[in-house]
Amino acid sequence: MVNLTIDDKQVTAPKTATIYEAAKINGINIPILCHDKKLKPFGACRMCLVEVEQMKGRQIPACTTPATEGMIIRTSTPDIIKARKMVLELLLLNHPLDCPVCDKSGDCDLQNLTYEYKVNSNRFTDEKFNHEIDYNNPLIERDMNRCVLCGKCARICDEIVSFGALTFIDRGIDTKIGCEFDDPLNCEFCGSCISVCPVGALLARPFKHKARFWAMTKHTSVCGYCGTGCNVTLGVKDNKVLTTIYDEEQGFHKGQLCVRGRFGYQFINSAQRLSKPLVRKNGVLSESTWDEALEIVAGRLKGGSNVAALATPRLTNEELSLFKTMLLENVGTKNFDHAAGYAHAALTEGFARSFGATASSASILDIQKSDFLLVIKTDAYETHPVVGFEINMAVKNKGVKLSILSDKRGKLSKLPDAKTLVHRPGSEIALLNSIAKTILDEKMVDASAAAVAGYAELEKALSGFSAEAIAEQSGLNAADIKKLASEYASSEKALIIFPTGQAYTGHNAVLASALANLAIITGKYGKEGCGVLCLSEKNNSQGAVDMGFYPQDGGLNSVQILDACINGTVKTLFVAGENPLVSYPDRNKVKAALDAVEFLVVSELFLTETAAMADVVLPVCSYAEKEGTFTSTDRRVQFIKPAIRKSVQIKTDFEIFSDLITRLGGQPPLRPALQFEEIAANTPGYLGMNHVSLQKNGAFAPVITIPAFVAPQALTPVVSETGKLALVTGSALYHSGTLSQYGEGPMHVCPEGYIELSRSDASAYKIAENDLCTVSSATGSMQLKAKISLRMPAGVVFAPYHFSATPINSIWSGAPVTLVTLVK
Amino acid sequence: MSDVVAQQGTEQEPEIDLSIADAVIGKYIDIPGNLMPVLQGVQEEYGYVPRVVADYVAERLNVYPSQIYGVLTFYAQFHLKPRGKFIIRVCVGTACHVQGATRIVETFFDKLHIGHAETSPDLRYTFEKVACLGACGMAPLAMVNDSTYGGMTVQKVDEIVADYNQRPLK
Repeated sequence: MVNLTIDDKQVTAPKTATIYEAAKINGINIPILCHDKKLKPFGACRMCLVEVEQMKGRQIPACTTPATEGMIIRTSTPDIIKARKMVLELLLLNHPLDCPVCDKSGDCDLQNLTYEYKVNSNRFTDEKFNHEIDYNNPLIERDMNRCVLCGKCARICDEIVSFGALTFIDRGIDTKIGCEFDDPLNCEFCGSCISVCPVGALLARPFKHKARFWAMTKHTSVCGYCGTGCNVTLGVKDNKVLTTIYDEEQGFHKGQLCVRGRFGYQFINSAQRLSKPLVRKNGVLSESTWDEALEIVAGRLKGGSNVAALATPRLTNEELSLFKTMLLENVGTKNFDHAAGYAHAALTEGFARSFGATASSASILDIQKSDFLLVIKTDAYETHPVVGFEINMAVKNKGVKLSILSDKRGKLSKLPDAKTLVHRPGSEIALLNSIAKTILDEKMVDASAAAVAGYAELEKALSGFSAEAIAEQSGLNAADIKKLASEYASSEKALIIFPTGQAYTGHNAVLASALANLAIITGKYGKEGCGVLCLSEKNNSQGAVDMGFYPQDGGLNSVQILDACINGTVKTLFVAGENPLVSYPDRNKVKAALDAVEFLVVSELFLTETAAMADVVLPVCSYAEKEGTFTSTDRRVQFIKPAIRKSVQIKTDFEIFSDLITRLGGQPPLRPALQFEEIAANTPGYLGMNHVSLQKNGAFAPVITIPAFVAPQALTPVVSETGKLALVTGSALYHSGTLSQYGEGPMHVCPEGYIELSRSDASAYKIAENDLCTVSSATGSMQLKAKISLRMPAGVVFAPYHFSATPINSIWSGAPVTLVTLVK
Repeated sequence: MSDVVAQQGTEQEPEIDLSIADAVIGKYIDIPGNLMPVLQGVQEEYGYVPRVVADYVAERLNVYPSQIYGVLTFYAQFHLKPRGKFIIRVCVGTACHVQGATRIVETFFDKLHIGHAETSPDLRYTFEKVACLGACGMAPLAMVNDSTYGGMTVQKVDEIVADYNQRPLK
């Protein structure tokens, strides 16, 4: 700590603090334009000038000058105020001053400072800027006439997003912010640049001229897309969510969002939302009343074990737990599952066996505290972009080493000194076992490992996984595998990260156990910066697992439920929010099951492909219209409350389940808070939590691990055939599940499915960018647009799974790798 | 990587052989802070920095293309368009100005039909006004590539242009 005097006040500050930070923590505000606490100090705007007595009263920037012992600082002398006024006059000189039509007005740092410093005239005259406004993309408008050249956009795009779309171009009075060769902006559209822009130079186009900043009410919530659990602030006016608002204090991510979180909110107020219950009459879905619809459903639910249910892990904990209670106690069935079954297997089977817990013991906060990150598949960035930001920051700012095992390269591969081992698709489990084998052979085993159950069996089972043997089938060389093994084992703290999800069938229980073996054998778990972090796909995937919404005690899993629909043992299927027809593998089978089942009830926001096949469709609420809790992938339990009033004709899933329980003769809880009390009492780690305590801040549900080794089975290597390409499925950066299809933002940038292939395959098959290709597998064939990219290795093609118009499950039946042919 | 050729040449840019850039990058690839020498090196080789080369340098050095463009536009020494074989620089600094540099400049404009920082369509000449060439005693001063012409007159402009018009382009 250092002692210093700021404005005649004796204060202390940490040794690492700058004058700006020292003042801030002591409640003294120094005006800034170019400084952001998330970014490195820059010192461009000169708004934060202060006087330091020891520096002979010179005016120095507070944001870049370290606070030192005994400093005597004055932050607002008449001279300083004069200097700041002049800075503002100079900034306003070329600025268009079009505040009445600027969407930043009311939230604009330049406007606020001009007001605060009473700059009501300008002693200088000059021409206004005349830069062309970039309207070339649908999400981010760039008006460089309003820019004050603080550089925050370019710096955040580099330091946190690591995309580097923006830079300073030219110099002197001609300087402006732009892209390479003055191209229109074409980036991943996370909008981080918009969030930090202190003026209206960068704006969200979907929000353009929608509402004045001060006319909106701001509601904090939790993003409803992926499992990261980012907090969002929704801007609401006239009961409509109009935008997301940046709050740098919000969440572990300090307000950073990805393209989906920032621009994907439009589904909430979509005109396509279902507004009334639908009941199939004479073969046609027609509008009905809640009473009629629920009475029909309740009648069908009396079928006991011939009832089955599939729920989306986008429901709240309260809803999932009430649904489960209803199914078990009021309906009398154990047949329920979520996320196609396999998407949670890494937790419910893999971690359950290896760690004795169905959750990751590591958290997202461990990423920046680690020394070494091992990421399985570069897709971790696409599935969880804000976790990707954490990885970027760890590698770029903290010097954390990054190694990636992946079947393709990706954005993470471009980070400084990142090592990407690109292996043959489908060989990751064998590779991980060979790393474990190397660690054993090279005697890099942690002292604690020998005492863990199953050590001897592991040692024996790994005998066939020598680096040399696996190198051949995985397309790597043995030296690289051994090097990775020794880097992992020799790091003091090491964290493994892997995404799971409906498109990642290979990321299953076996993979999770192979990763857990690595962590346990080297003692890298249960400590800060160590462990295995499973990134689960949906916003409440971890919650669905914690609530136990998966088959136990002989209940049927997703696959078995669909089979049972076909063979007639399941007669009533309740689908709450899932869209299996698009997102589950093997479309033909799903279609057959939904056709065959006697009665299908779907609760949904939209008339999805699955809902269109239903006998009863129940319109439900989005996360912005209900109350409850979501559990993020690292077990942060967070509370959401309604940001807008729901329309009178729709119900929350909670209300639907409550109503059905009453109709089935049960006694439902009165409100979600009471259901949560029950959850807190019965779910390991949730004890002591309640809605009131969670309202302010989320809480981590601790994970207790009991390690055990799971001996690997012999694996059959994935075969390749000449003339065929290996199709791997996955998530696109701009989408999450099938819900983001109803968000205009994601659909603007990534409107349709595609097949991504390497340059060499493109030239071999004479395919050009955007050519329509026929992709055929053993199970079907479909047309997809070609996307040629540098990141794909030859012989491997990638396709995202989100799209109803081009459902990849018509050629993909759930194998991690599918052999396909490609014809233009 | 030497088999990589430019995927698309823009209209102005003929097919560009990236193996030349490859050789330059190869010289500096392992040196920290290699961006400036690489860009200077490729400019030396191609005469300017074509876009495909800038993109290729970005890819090989793992630097954002935007950052490279920022550097290229910050320094006056880099050129993004093809330059003439003969670079004519006329000093318009104080000493040359009072000795009538303006007329020298105008005469060059008339003779070459190109303005400041422009290049003739046949890529023979690039003309530049510069602030000082550091030889005020010889004012008014002009340079063609590395040759210096002091005590410039309108007459001498004619002679210089006639001389360089004769010289072979290849």
